Amino acid sequence: MKLYCLSGHPTLPCNVLRFKSTTIMLDCGLDITASLYFLPLPLVHSPRLSKLPGWVSKDGAVNLEKELKECSGRVFVDSQPEFCLPERELLDLSTIDVILISNYHCMMALPYITEHTGFTGTVYATEPTLQIGRLLMEELVAFMERVPKAHTATCWKNKDIQRLLPAPLKDAVDVCSWRRCYSMQEVNSALSKVQLVGYSQKVELFGAVQVSPLSSGYSLGSSNWIIQSHYEKVSYVSGSSLLTTHPQPMDQSSLKNSDVLILTGLTQIPTANPDGMLGEFCSNLSMTIRAGGNVLVPCYSSGVIYDLLECLYQFMDSANLGNTPFYFISPVANSSLEFSQIFAEWLCQNKQSKVYLPEPPFPHAELIQTNKLKHYPSIHGDFSSEFRQPCVVFTGHPSLRFGDVVHFMELWGKSSLNTIIFTEPDFSYLEALAPYQPLAMKCVYCPIDTRLNFHQVSKLLKEIQPLHVVCPEPYTQPPPAQPHRTDLMLELQHPPMAYRRCSVLGLPFRRRYERIHLLPELAKSLVLSEMKTGVSVATVSAVLHSKDNKHVLQVREFQNKPRPHASCHGTA
Amino acid sequence: MDSECLSFLPRICVALADPRQSPPDDTSLEKLLDWFKDLPNQRNVNGEGLLQQQPCLLEFISSVCKCKDTDHAILSFTLKLTGLLAATEQGFSLLEEEGLLACAFKRGGWCAPDLWHEPSVRSGWLQGLLHTLNHRKALEFVRENGLIKVLLHLQNDPSLFVSSLANEVLVNILNFMTSSKMSNSSDAVGSAQCPLGPDWVSVSSEIIRAGVEALGSKKHPQVIQGLKLLSLVLSQCGEPIRSMLWKDVLVPLEVLINGGSGLLTLPLMTVLQAAVRTPLLSQSDCKVKELMEAMLGAGNGKDCFQCAALIVTLEKCPEELKRKAINIILLPLRCLSTQLQDIEKELEIVVKKQLSQKSSCISLLLQSLSGITELAHTKYPFEDIPQVTCSVMLLLRICSGHRPSFSLPSIVSTQLIGCCKVQRCGLDTLDALSVYNENLDLRHEVFGVLLEYLQNPDSHATVLKKALQAAVRWVGVCSPFPDLLQFISRDLFPALEKRTCDLRWEVRDSTLEFITQMTAALRGNTGYAEVLHTSSMFSILLSSLADVEGYVRASAVGAVGEAVTSLVQQTELLPEEVLTQMMAILSQDTEGFPRRAVVKAFTSWLKGTHPLPALDQSLSAVLSLGGNDLDWEVKIHTLELADVLMERTLTYCPYATQISSSPDETRLTQALRKLKDLGLLDLLLNSLFDCDRPVCEKACSLLLKLRTLAVDIDRSDVVLDVCGNRWGDEVGSRYLNKPQAERSLCVINGAKESCEKMDSDLLSIREISLPDVVRLLDLDSMQRTLILSRDHVVNSPRSLMEDILLSVQQTEENIVDCY
Repeated sequence: MKLYCLSGHPTLPCNVLRFKSTTIMLDCGLDITASLYFLPLPLVHSPRLSKLPGWVSKDGAVNLEKELKECSGRVFVDSQPEFCLPERELLDLSTIDVILISNYHCMMALPYITEHTGFTGTVYATEPTLQIGRLLMEELVAFMERVPKAHTATCWKNKDIQRLLPAPLKDAVDVCSWRRCYSMQEVNSALSKVQLVGYSQKVELFGAVQVSPLSSGYSLGSSNWIIQSHYEKVSYVSGSSLLTTHPQPMDQSSLKNSDVLILTGLTQIPTANPDGMLGEFCSNLSMTIRAGGNVLVPCYSSGVIYDLLECLYQFMDSANLGNTPFYFISPVANSSLEFSQIFAEWLCQNKQSKVYLPEPPFPHAELIQTNKLKHYPSIHGDFSSEFRQPCVVFTGHPSLRFGDVVHFMELWGKSSLNTIIFTEPDFSYLEALAPYQPLAMKCVYCPIDTRLNFHQVSKLLKEIQPLHVVCPEPYTQPPPAQPHRTDLMLELQHPPMAYRRCSVLGLPFRRRYERIHLLPELAKSLVLSEMKTGVSVATVSAVLHSKDNKHVLQVREFQNKPRPHASCHGTA
Repeated sequence: MDSECLSFLPRICVALADPRQSPPDDTSLEKLLDWFKDLPNQRNVNGEGLLQQQPCLLEFISSVCKCKDTDHAILSFTLKLTGLLAATEQGFSLLEEEGLLACAFKRGGWCAPDLWHEPSVRSGWLQGLLHTLNHRKALEFVRENGLIKVLLHLQNDPSLFVSSLANEVLVNILNFMTSSKMSNSSDAVGSAQCPLGPDWVSVSSEIIRAGVEALGSKKHPQVIQGLKLLSLVLSQCGEPIRSMLWKDVLVPLEVLINGGSGLLTLPLMTVLQAAVRTPLLSQSDCKVKELMEAMLGAGNGKDCFQCAALIVTLEKCPEELKRKAINIILLPLRCLSTQLQDIEKELEIVVKKQLSQKSSCISLLLQSLSGITELAHTKYPFEDIPQVTCSVMLLLRICSGHRPSFSLPSIVSTQLIGCCKVQRCGLDTLDALSVYNENLDLRHEVFGVLLEYLQNPDSHATVLKKALQAAVRWVGVCSPFPDLLQFISRDLFPALEKRTCDLRWEVRDSTLEFITQMTAALRGNTGYAEVLHTSSMFSILLSSLADVEGYVRASAVGAVGEAVTSLVQQTELLPEEVLTQMMAILSQDTEGFPRRAVVKAFTSWLKGTHPLPALDQSLSAVLSLGGNDLDWEVKIHTLELADVLMERTLTYCPYATQISSSPDETRLTQALRKLKDLGLLDLLLNSLFDCDRPVCEKACSLLLKLRTLAVDIDRSDVVLDVCGNRWGDEVGSRYLNKPQAERSLCVINGAKESCEKMDSDLLSIREISLPDVVRLLDLDSMQRTLILSRDHVVNSPRSLMEDILLSVQQTEENIVDCY
């Protein structure tokens, strides 16, 4: 059994498990942090960004004026943002039989895997994962296609040139494998390969292994996966949460007795308690609105935004800010808000029971009804005429490199009355803000990451007791900035197996048994000798027939004839 | 004693003695016993007198003791009652003559001996015996009937209540033998004039011997009981018993201390604590100090810390010993800050080991912090106070995730990060350390730590509260330093602003309370007042007046009130917006707390040294709204406001001088008219007839105050409208009921009339003068009635007895119903 690690990113995993002649890809996360090296894509012409000076090396030897621009004391690539893909050279992607998706954030690289690689397999995901994943992909494509760039910068990626560039560009790794965003056609083609599964549904893969998704409690339809044969069990834990938020609670008991547990997707901000951050979010929002400023929340169009809206639904009235409008701007805003209300069976019990009243599970329906929350596909159109301040705007993309958020940064960045509150933990807020400096608006970092923290995961592992744990390397050591925080790493009795990008791990267990069926007539012919109470043995003489990973012992044709001695051709 | 109550007693006795009836609840029986206890004080009725007046009591005791089916609760009650009745020699004799004492207290005296297994019965027996131990006869009864042995046996009773009560009785016996009550007798133990009687010597020796044997016992519970007896004797008995016992227990005590059993640390320390408070401390042969030092050095580290923690709390303690204990108390903190130089190696290892263990790390640090807090409360001169403070701050920083500059066992930081217990305790210690002037140089660091806690989004609400409490204290002591204002405006206010918007109402509430306290602590500091009003804080306070939580609104009212006081000292202006919002809360808020707070704010403004002209316009409305409020506490606060207003108006008359300059009107009349115009007189009279007694009582006391001034003024000077006021009907009806008294007082339709008026004319009263109304009301009698009515019905013995009878009757009815 082998594990090929195509991504080293702990929360955007992409691993391939070879198990019993099946090749299973576990998630295909797309690392969008590479876009932070690029200049923002403004929706409306920005005089500031359009007049940036091009970069020429000090000695004039390297001139990349067209590709690189100096902005706020740093150099950025002036091209359509690119993303870091999972490793594609480590193994032949056309050999992958199935891809198991655990949540909609971990499928963003799917078109890069399924298209143009010879992939012929099947993708398994739950319905909300597919639908919301589609929305996120559509949104990403829309953000890119709304602001097309005529030229694509490629020269700077030349290794000889890159090493002469200023930091952080010169330190960027694997830049040659970075790719532009996929097209909508590729998205549709990739998603057409998805087969829907429900929680605890068992899917047979070639008769060799059975895979089954379990609720992971992180987001709508998010799953952990059990991959098991008759005698072996591998659990794949990715992006799980034990907090009481909107999704169905995590199924922990089914993870028990695993031979191997692959653990990914723990919280990225282990020192930030989500409750405390939610409190900070509300306090800062309230202070800004009371002072007459606007609040900008760069966020994904699904996920934590549902919880934020629910929290604000209660908070705004209690803080006497009930008249403050919320705007949710995204090409998929409407679909996201509507989808969240229709996936009742994927929600926590409390929200499910509302459906039978009947009431919408999320209170944002009421916010929309009372005109407190308005959603728009873009800043163009109705929004510009209905917009009033002070207000709270939720919009993407959290990297601040593309999407409507770029416009608000340009619009509100100059006033100290306004505040930008970062809630998504995927991007360094300082890096995200770099091309907007100097910035007068207040910046608040309230990352809300509901995924398991180290304390919770230690308890979980004690409870489910896997024989071996495999995890990304960063989980086996304290955060580099806080080397004394040994509580922020996995400390297990048996040290976990750590992996990094391009690792190939031989998982430490040998398969010792295989199940073989006896046909009834063969069973009838066996002569049992009792060795001790409850244990009998017999000599079997039969033909072993193997097909589709199923093994059957069949009677030999001459077996009906009497023979002086039976010989053993197969052992059950 | 109420004769009515006496008449209930026979029925009560019959009801309680009847085994077929369920006993009333324990509380009723305890209350009845309390009533019996109070009899000698209330009516000078002693046990004998009561027994003679109420022979039913003798019958009751007899029948309960002789009944085979008696309930254990009733038997326990009876034993306690018998003891109470035998508390005097006469009562004792009477009971003895009837054979009831032997029946109650001699083993085998009852017909239901199995009930001895009930702890409540054993406890009742002991309490009864304890009550009797007031005279020599009782002591003889105990000795002659061999009850000392029973008591010594009960000392090891499995019930903790029984065993500690047995100890108490034994100590009482020892104490009684040395008391003045025995001094007339030749038997007083150790009496100089009278040698020790052999009977008494045997009693005291028996008890002391038992105590010594208990200390030497191998059974842990017996040792504990022995130590408890010893500490009781030391704290309650005089000489020579104390010295006699100490001499005998010294050796076993030394053995126990040197044995170092962790389980005995606490009881051993209690013994030593008791010994320290006696003259034994100064007697070198008594070795109290040596034993204390041995305690510090004995056993494992945990006991040593426990012992040190107890030593530092001792008031009288040899200084050398205290220093030693303090060094031990400080050790865990010094260990965390790597300041280990002159620490004994062995102890250092123990501390490090305990700090690295999950189970002991937190408790060790908590003990250390609490010890420092205790010492700081007494302003104990530590050797290096700033260093102690720095250690506490370092611990607080580690708790919030900071990395110390040296390596710390990972388990320590893992345990401490985010540990609310240590954070709370550490902040308490930091608060207490503010008393030392030596720490003032550390104020920047202290404020830095406090600010970190206030800013940390993960700070628990209780931790934040502690941080705010500590901040108030430090702001208070640092008020003379000019850099404080910079800290407040630049760092503290932004942190507080965020906290006033916190999701948790407790945090918003604590923050607003903190702002109130800080503003009060810095009253008179013009720089602070300027910072408060020029920053956005004041507008945030105003917006908090509309908080969704009533408690928070109340705290916001308090904070705005205090802020306005500081503002007024500078500008003498009351912001219009404040008045509008305050009046809106008083008239519209659905919860009582904010409305009470508004009236209190007005009272505080009125009490202030700077008069507020703007206030004058609102007072009338406040008095009217507050007086008509549905919440009785709002009404009380309104009357307190009225009290202050009266005080100011009648003493200084600042308003009277403004309203009239007529030379023939006295200042008093002007002041009273002013009060009338403000509606204060109507408020007092209406409140006098309020449905809530405390309101009536307060109004009555204020009217009595007013009467002393108002009786002398001319009737026509201050005339009140009777019509349209709630009090008018009451006064009218009282007037009609007492025609003779009032005929000479009334003013009818504004003109003085002769007193020959018919009742029909009296009905047409429209106005009445202030002097007349205060005389007419018979305020003295009203006040007496109101004071008497306090808890009168609820706690009367009669109602208790009625309850007991009723509960018995109800049980009967219920039984019938069940069938």
